[in-house]
Amino acid sequence: MARRITILLLAVLLIAALTTLPFFLKAFHIRVGLSIFLSAGFAVCWWLLAGFTAYYSFGHTAFVGIGAFAAALALRAVPEAAPALQLAWSLGAGLVVAGGIAAIIAWPILRLRGHYFTIAMLAVALVLGEAVAAFPVFGGSTGLALPNLAPMGVRVEAFFYWIALALLAIVMAVAWVISRSRLGYGLAAIREDEDAAQMLGVPTTRFKVVAFVLSGGLIGLIGAVYALNLGYITSDSVFRGSLSLEMIVNSLVGGMGSILGPVIGAAVMTGVTKLVLADLLEYHLAITGVLIVAVVLVAPDGLVGLWRRRRAQSAGR
Amino acid sequence: MTTTDLLSVQGLAAGYGGALAVRGLDFAVAPGTIAVLVGANGAGKTTTVQVIAGAIRPSGGTIRFDGETVTGLDCPAMVDRGITLVPEGRLIFARMTVEENLLMGALNRRAAANLARNLDRVFALFPRLAQRRGQLGGSMSGGEQQMLAIARGLMAEPRLMILDEPSLGLAPKVVAETFGLIRQLNAEGITILLVEQNVRQSLQLADRAFVIEKGRVVLSGAGPTLLDDPFVKTAFLGL
Repeated sequence: MARRITILLLAVLLIAALTTLPFFLKAFHIRVGLSIFLSAGFAVCWWLLAGFTAYYSFGHTAFVGIGAFAAALALRAVPEAAPALQLAWSLGAGLVVAGGIAAIIAWPILRLRGHYFTIAMLAVALVLGEAVAAFPVFGGSTGLALPNLAPMGVRVEAFFYWIALALLAIVMAVAWVISRSRLGYGLAAIREDEDAAQMLGVPTTRFKVVAFVLSGGLIGLIGAVYALNLGYITSDSVFRGSLSLEMIVNSLVGGMGSILGPVIGAAVMTGVTKLVLADLLEYHLAITGVLIVAVVLVAPDGLVGLWRRRRAQSAGR
Repeated sequence: MTTTDLLSVQGLAAGYGGALAVRGLDFAVAPGTIAVLVGANGAGKTTTVQVIAGAIRPSGGTIRFDGETVTGLDCPAMVDRGITLVPEGRLIFARMTVEENLLMGALNRRAAANLARNLDRVFALFPRLAQRRGQLGGSMSGGEQQMLAIARGLMAEPRLMILDEPSLGLAPKVVAETFGLIRQLNAEGITILLVEQNVRQSLQLADRAFVIEKGRVVLSGAGPTLLDDPFVKTAFLGL
């Protein structure tokens, strides 16, 4: 009990510290923080499905794209509304449309298991990206512009920094609540052995659909913020294979066994690429690749797994 | 077939992608008894119990449980009604601890409410599992894993427990222990449906036994009586 209070206190302090940080940082560093929160948010949502159920999606950028375009199109419908309302309206559109489309594709796609699911999600992302690029409603290949919704007097990067931080806190809270619920235990049973889970009376289909819709919907929510921050989106910029890849890599680097894994992985990978490798553009991808290989070799359970193992070893001594 | 049967199966047909493994199968289990399905490999025993547990949809026939038609319901619905299958090969969660495995057995709503009580009851019944509650399921011996699979099934508070080949791959001494345990569970009021290739021992246990061949019941009767049947003797006991 005391330990739980300590953790809660630490979390509140950390959030407070992160909230005040933009007042002391340069615009560039605020943007780095913003990137970390966005990719951590995406990774946590991806992990919400993959970490609990071992259904590894290679196409979760589909939901980033859906959320982004839903937000952009929703804003066209209310050009005159107050910015705060526009913000809520576009984020809501991202969440609901991405969650809705996730619900529609969930039933057929979750009948597939293992690699088949993974590849099917890859195809979903590709098809949606092509479809969006093909239809004029979505701006075709020229894309859509989004208005600047930051209030007067607030720096744009700081504004989105705070929103992304809040959303990251929300998706982490959702994942934490699930991990302690009947749903979370059922999903863990599905991950370990789906046939056994079914025999034990776990409503496997319903639980998988719920996890998939939550994962997709919340990515759509963050995808809306991603689009608003970019200010201009095309099919290529939001239906981007590398976004799917980042969610996977960040979760693996941080560790799949804990909710902190995706967050730590996103912080490390985004931090390294934006800060350390910013001046080495040509070597950027090569070094990222070496880093991933190193993590897989040294810490197959991710950084969180490595830390846990170290702690278990020192406790055993 | 009387109305007092806990489980009755009539004209059951089921299979995989057009090939019927079970066709026109009839049998019934009276409450509080031990029923046994015996038959050779591929006779349709596992398919039959998978249908009753809700894992496979039947293509024909009716299943009644406790007076209610339950044909074609899914696993969660069957578990909610009190039918629990301890599957062939045990399907233990190897990377979970003994205690976590047991919790997974209590995920249906009815059993979740009585979780603490059921856990105590199961640990009283299986002291060895209580000692090893923190051990990983996959690190236990075959016999212990079978105990765990049965214990996990008990966590769902079954009225009918179906055991598919519980003696598979176990040492003779452990097989005897397992059959003893099944008798004990039955004495506590749980109706048992047992699928076995170990014909001699399971028939000794059976209040009623059904011999299945090519997806049909070809012979039935009290277990010990069937042991003296000339067909059973030549087909299964090698006498």
